Amino acid sequence: MDSYDAGSLPSDDNVNAYSFCLDLTHDWFLKRGAMIAYYGDARFDPLSALSSASAFVAARFSSPVYAQEWVVVSGAGKVVVADRGHDVNSFDLDAGNLTVRAGNLLAFDTSLELKQSIVPGFLTLLGTGTFIASSNGPVIFVEPPFRADPEALLGWADCPSPSQHFDAAWMAASITGMLTGVFGRASGEERQYDFTGSGTVLLQSSEQTRDDPALLRVLTEQTQVLSPTQAAELAGILQARAARA
Amino acid sequence: MGAFEQVNSKVVRCPISPQSAVLSRRGAMLGYTGDVRFRPVHGQGTGLGGAVGAVMASESAPTMVAEGSGSVLYGHRGLHLTVLDLRGEGLVVEADRLLAHSAGLQTGVQFLGQGGLRNVVRGAVTGQGLFTTSISGTGSVALLSHGGAFPLTVSPGEPVGVDPQAYVAHTGAVQVDLSAKVGWREAVGRGSGEAFQLKLTGSGTVYVQASEQKL
Repeated sequence: MDSYDAGSLPSDDNVNAYSFCLDLTHDWFLKRGAMIAYYGDARFDPLSALSSASAFVAARFSSPVYAQEWVVVSGAGKVVVADRGHDVNSFDLDAGNLTVRAGNLLAFDTSLELKQSIVPGFLTLLGTGTFIASSNGPVIFVEPPFRADPEALLGWADCPSPSQHFDAAWMAASITGMLTGVFGRASGEERQYDFTGSGTVLLQSSEQTRDDPALLRVLTEQTQVLSPTQAAELAGILQARAARA
Repeated sequence: MGAFEQVNSKVVRCPISPQSAVLSRRGAMLGYTGDVRFRPVHGQGTGLGGAVGAVMASESAPTMVAEGSGSVLYGHRGLHLTVLDLRGEGLVVEADRLLAHSAGLQTGVQFLGQGGLRNVVRGAVTGQGLFTTSISGTGSVALLSHGGAFPLTVSPGEPVGVDPQAYVAHTGAVQVDLSAKVGWREAVGRGSGEAFQLKLTGSGTVYVQASEQKL
């Protein structure tokens, strides 16, 4: 088995199915913890610490909620990224838009612009450039019309944001089940994301997702729309759930 | 009757039509196209065995049915899948490892082996419980395994020994027996860890996963 060195590591390509090598010929946004090894003189700067010279780079990352989990890697050399042994793939965007689950996005070109998606836990990339994302199992590409399990959904490109679809038959059967005490609504199979229009939907091969620490902050931010009374009610609901758990 | 199509090593695409519904583990649906409705199923199989099995299996493997017309993608926890097409031969599989199967197949719950005290021992040892699902009829089955499953042929005069943790399923006229080789080494905890084996005799195929990790 050959061993890699700085020269023989692939440039902006997969080392194997589970790791990817970034070439620092240009700067990258990198998720904290995604780097497993690097060669050369690479600098990892937090977004907040960027000097005024590269402030325009930080301005392309317009999601304060996620900013503390990301760094800018610059300098010279090669950086190998991976995510818990999951499949890692690179995708090229050409003046396009793509929304991807925040927990699965590992790195992207600083030429791409990042915005927070309306759907909680998802990030949208705009422009031209490369991004690296992980998936549990190979990625499956499907075309709308398609309904996806929220946990299996990896992202979508060029099509409108999904709406939620509730399976009426499942809900009815579920309620009957609850009345007879046979089972609860644990699997959440009654809720799906409904994609219409033209574009591509990306699915991972499993319904297993990783915890996204920023998701809590996103949802907290969204509770601003609630009135104080409603907020107090929500607090009560969450407390009751925490007590059950 | 549409056969299951393997999309990649971890995902299977199951065609659904009014004539052929698909039963699956609850929560394993990744996505679907077409007019497909999902409905939870209470209990598994028919008859007394099914009723008992439903109670036994309800904790580990609740099921649902997909009806209508379209196609559904199934996958579970990133585990590898093996798709088998049954044409009349029986299949015995642990309920936990059954991801999806054609609704036209008959399922039942059976004791693994001939019964008696031995089964209690086996259930305790393998952690697989006393009940396994037996499937017969014509249709497709998708099985879960950790690291992928491969077939080993069992023929008369050539029995196969399998690590209980690596056992996934078997087809054909195969008898399963637990053989315990417990010596003093095992008793003092210095054995090889291979004291218990499943011994398969007869003629058929046993599917073994490339890992000793349980689901």
